[in-house]
Amino acid sequence: MRRLLFALAFLLLIVSTWIGLTQGQIDPLQRNILYVHVPNSVCALLCFVVVLIASIGYLVTAGQTWDQVATAAAEAGFVFATILNATGMIFSRAEWNVWWTPSPRLVTSAILWFLYAVYLILRLSLPGGRRRPARICAVFGIVAFLDVPLVYISARFIPDIHRPNFSLDSAWQTAALMLGMAGTALLATSLIWLRANLLRDSLRLEQEFLH
Amino acid sequence: MKDAWLGLRAILIKDIVVELRAKQVLPTMVILGMLIVFILRMASESASAGAGAPVMGAAALWIAFLFSGLLAQERSFASEQQNGCMDGLLLAPLDPGTIYLAKLVANVILLMIFEAVVVPLVLMAFHLHVAGWGRLVTVLLLGNLGISSVGTLFSAAVQLTRTRGALLSIVVLVLLMPMMIPASFALLVLFGALPEDVIGSGSFAFVGSFQAAVAYMLAFDAIFCVASWLLFGVVVEE
Repeated sequence: MRRLLFALAFLLLIVSTWIGLTQGQIDPLQRNILYVHVPNSVCALLCFVVVLIASIGYLVTAGQTWDQVATAAAEAGFVFATILNATGMIFSRAEWNVWWTPSPRLVTSAILWFLYAVYLILRLSLPGGRRRPARICAVFGIVAFLDVPLVYISARFIPDIHRPNFSLDSAWQTAALMLGMAGTALLATSLIWLRANLLRDSLRLEQEFLH
Repeated sequence: MKDAWLGLRAILIKDIVVELRAKQVLPTMVILGMLIVFILRMASESASAGAGAPVMGAAALWIAFLFSGLLAQERSFASEQQNGCMDGLLLAPLDPGTIYLAKLVANVILLMIFEAVVVPLVLMAFHLHVAGWGRLVTVLLLGNLGISSVGTLFSAAVQLTRTRGALLSIVVLVLLMPMMIPASFALLVLFGALPEDVIGSGSFAFVGSFQAAVAYMLAFDAIFCVASWLLFGVVVEE
């Protein structure tokens, strides 16, 4: 089932890229990066929502599965946030001739990346069994989620250069973007699933080895 | 309610008395803050003479605040690790939120003493003229509360780790990043580098005013104080 999801995700991404490069090209060339950039930004934010929900779930029920899902979502979200910022920087350089500049959406994306990075470092460095680190990471997950809208509002104190939205001219372009969205979302789901299962298995192995 | 108030006062007085007698962190904080201001002043000599001074001054002030605040916050729960003091605190018939509030107030007071030394130093070093002292104090206190609220919560969380201070610094700094934008904006207005209201035009349209910056900091403080107060019990639970 999971393999099927992975295969489907890659198929959708390939079809999206192919349509984007043939029928749905946007002028000028650098704007085509939006077929990667936009789906990744959506998924990076969605993973954050998953971290929030799983963190609340863990604090309420103390079930290990919630904790594993939160970790898996943070790891996947870190990858998407990295791609989001990397593609954004490439586009920024081509379009505005700077690699990075403070502007509301750019600041928000950068802080999103930092929050994921700190979450993963926190996860690695907390000792003391399994329950205390999991609780502290859950607290950080919730507080970090509170931070994201605050970042967006605070960035209003900086001039904006990000263009609000691209207008997609043809149905081909819409199709390429939508397929890219679906493919990236499926990829996120299967990555979170895979990592959560791996974490569950490693916990189980650890417990069997100890007893 | 009365018990909570008595408990809060007891912990607060204990923390302040311990700090005043042992002088564990306050001298370090003040010297670190002065060093940061001094280094930034020297390093920016070529730009600090003219229009660059308010910008460098605001940056020096907040950087000194952030790093000295981290020292105070790390100390506030590190001192409870010896002789099982933390267990004693948790065994007291108090809501964990009350312990958090007491520690928060202690950290705010430490940072206020720090501010009383470092802020005049910054104003002198960068030749700054303040438009409205009351407003400056408001901005500094709001910043103080924001820095302390996040720091106190995660100070309790990072105890027992090997890299305590380093871990605390990245956790606190990443969460405080959004507050630093309006906080710097407000100081730049007070130091005369920005007009009271900034209304850009064209693609640079953005809103920025002193009132908006203060309102943002107030909202930030309120959100993080309440969230930390509610979540503190989860962090210290054994």
